Amino acid sequence: MTDECRVRFDGVWKKFRKGSGYDSLRDLIPSLVKSTIRPKPSELGVNDFWALRDVSFEVGTGHALGIIGRNGAGKSTTLKILTKVLAPTLGHYSTKGRVGSLIEVAAGFHPDLTGRENVFLQAAILGLPKSKVESAFDAIVDFAGVEAFIDTPVKRYSSGMNARLGFSIAAHMDPDVLIIDEVLSVGDGAFQAKCIERMRAFKAAGVAIVFVSHNMQAISDLCDTAIHLDGEVICEGPAGEVIGAFLTSMEGSAQTATGNLASLSVEALALEDGSPARVVTPGQVLTQRLSFTTAEALADCSLSLVVIRSTDGLAVHDSSFQMNELGWDSLRPGITYHVTAKLAAHLLRGQYHFQWHLIHSPTNRWLAVLNPAAMFRVDEYRSYGGVVDLELAITGQAE
Amino acid sequence: MGFLWALLMPCLVLGASLLVRALISRGGVDPASSGEALAGPALKAWAWAFVVGSLNFSTTSLLNNINLVSKIYFPREVLPLAAVGAQIVDSLVGLAFIICLAPLLGMHWTLNLLWLFPLIGLLVLLTSGLSLFLSAANVFYRDVKYLVQVAVTFGIFATPVLFGLDSLGPTARRLMWLNPLTPVLEGLRLVTSHGSNLAYTVAAPAGGAPYWTPWALLGSAVFGVIVLAGSERYFRAHSDRFAELA
Repeated sequence: MTDECRVRFDGVWKKFRKGSGYDSLRDLIPSLVKSTIRPKPSELGVNDFWALRDVSFEVGTGHALGIIGRNGAGKSTTLKILTKVLAPTLGHYSTKGRVGSLIEVAAGFHPDLTGRENVFLQAAILGLPKSKVESAFDAIVDFAGVEAFIDTPVKRYSSGMNARLGFSIAAHMDPDVLIIDEVLSVGDGAFQAKCIERMRAFKAAGVAIVFVSHNMQAISDLCDTAIHLDGEVICEGPAGEVIGAFLTSMEGSAQTATGNLASLSVEALALEDGSPARVVTPGQVLTQRLSFTTAEALADCSLSLVVIRSTDGLAVHDSSFQMNELGWDSLRPGITYHVTAKLAAHLLRGQYHFQWHLIHSPTNRWLAVLNPAAMFRVDEYRSYGGVVDLELAITGQAE
Repeated sequence: MGFLWALLMPCLVLGASLLVRALISRGGVDPASSGEALAGPALKAWAWAFVVGSLNFSTTSLLNNINLVSKIYFPREVLPLAAVGAQIVDSLVGLAFIICLAPLLGMHWTLNLLWLFPLIGLLVLLTSGLSLFLSAANVFYRDVKYLVQVAVTFGIFATPVLFGLDSLGPTARRLMWLNPLTPVLEGLRLVTSHGSNLAYTVAAPAGGAPYWTPWALLGSAVFGVIVLAGSERYFRAHSDRFAELA
């Protein structure tokens, strides 16, 4: 299989209009006067804004590109341009081969037609012969799991059923390029897993995939590379790194959060030799120095650390440490307390971050929260999934 | 009601036209067309119902299928043309009905009936061109559909649907010839009710604009081609932005 470029996005700009604009003949006449001074495509009018600014990327056969970004970052716009639903204001794009797509969860279904009719409608639009659809029909319905309702108009489908059928159609159209937008947000767990599995199989078969999701774990599971989009490409590269950078930027604003009663600050996470810990191997020892002060005298305080897998929010570690074990039965104002935390990162591949809490135990109140207090990536190439490194060792002998 | 819908509209228009005729002839204004065979008026009513149905359905076709337009790519022309196509199917039912009743309607069975093919072809051409333009315009200006409703409501008076040109005065006739649908509808009437050959001019006995001229038919055909080409251009040029605005 040659590694040819299937999807190319080359310096694409897309302009949208804010506000309702004129959309009746009643408003046409005043607007005609204005349109004589209409700006050039490359300039912005008063109410215009750039939804995409100079976005470029390529996806080759057998590659998967993840697109991540906050709401309104232009992810769906990008996919709509790729599927020719929208035209770019400036720049070029191209796709090679048949494109299977699922945009904005509900596929392009006609609400009054039944599921069965919509399958054939979509196939016709994609240019697939009827005989081929007939042979794939059972597989489509089976994969979507909507057998009982296949002759019901899709307007009566739940959003999950809509997405299931939409994904199933896109996935059975023998695509060369698969463009999937947020299908995972409405499907249940089992279906999400099925979708990811299916997309992995496609990738292995040489299909180029462009995948938009807010589920970072799914992106990092499936995609080789990713781009962080926010109108323009903020960051691109290997999926893990881009996700890490994206999550840092998302949570960066929380870093300074402190309570009124206490303030908490940390130094950078470090390895045992004092060098900064950004990329870590399983089992490596990490240290972090903290300091905190309180505004009034407080007895029975504790410090807790939560270690979170950033991509899906899974708390892989959550424990607290009583201050009186250090002999600090009561924290007093005006004194800065320094502590050093040390732990071994028995974790598998992924992006993680720390969260520190200073807690007043009698009232169970959070005095100060620091999130994220540190971010790091664990790199290893032994595992396929999982979270914890249990230091599996296998011995054997042959007789 | 199923396929009866295909008959309802032409029957209503035909009923209205018979009523108008009865009223006019009682007043003694129009002795000329009072004894005319019904085939012509029936076909006129049928053609008018096709035009009205096509324009109404195609104008809103893009916005009514917003789900498709904003989610998947396909040639957007399909939607307004499919609306016209659906009307063609309906109209074929109506035409079959008229043909079955032809003996009762006093149809003139002559070779001149072959004129029906170019006439109906021209009708579809004119309607398709307008449909393409109106459907695209309605995406950008949402009040176009109301204008279309107004236009078809009053258009029946500016088009010889309820009456023949021979029942009009010279000035009204001249104005009526400016309507590109006039040659189609008058052609349908002359061919079926009178068995006329449309290649020959029919002069008005009292002078003024003629009852029939083949040049009007030619002009209408040229107009139809220009409208279709222009509409297709307009549609093409703006179809990029349908998904954005719809």
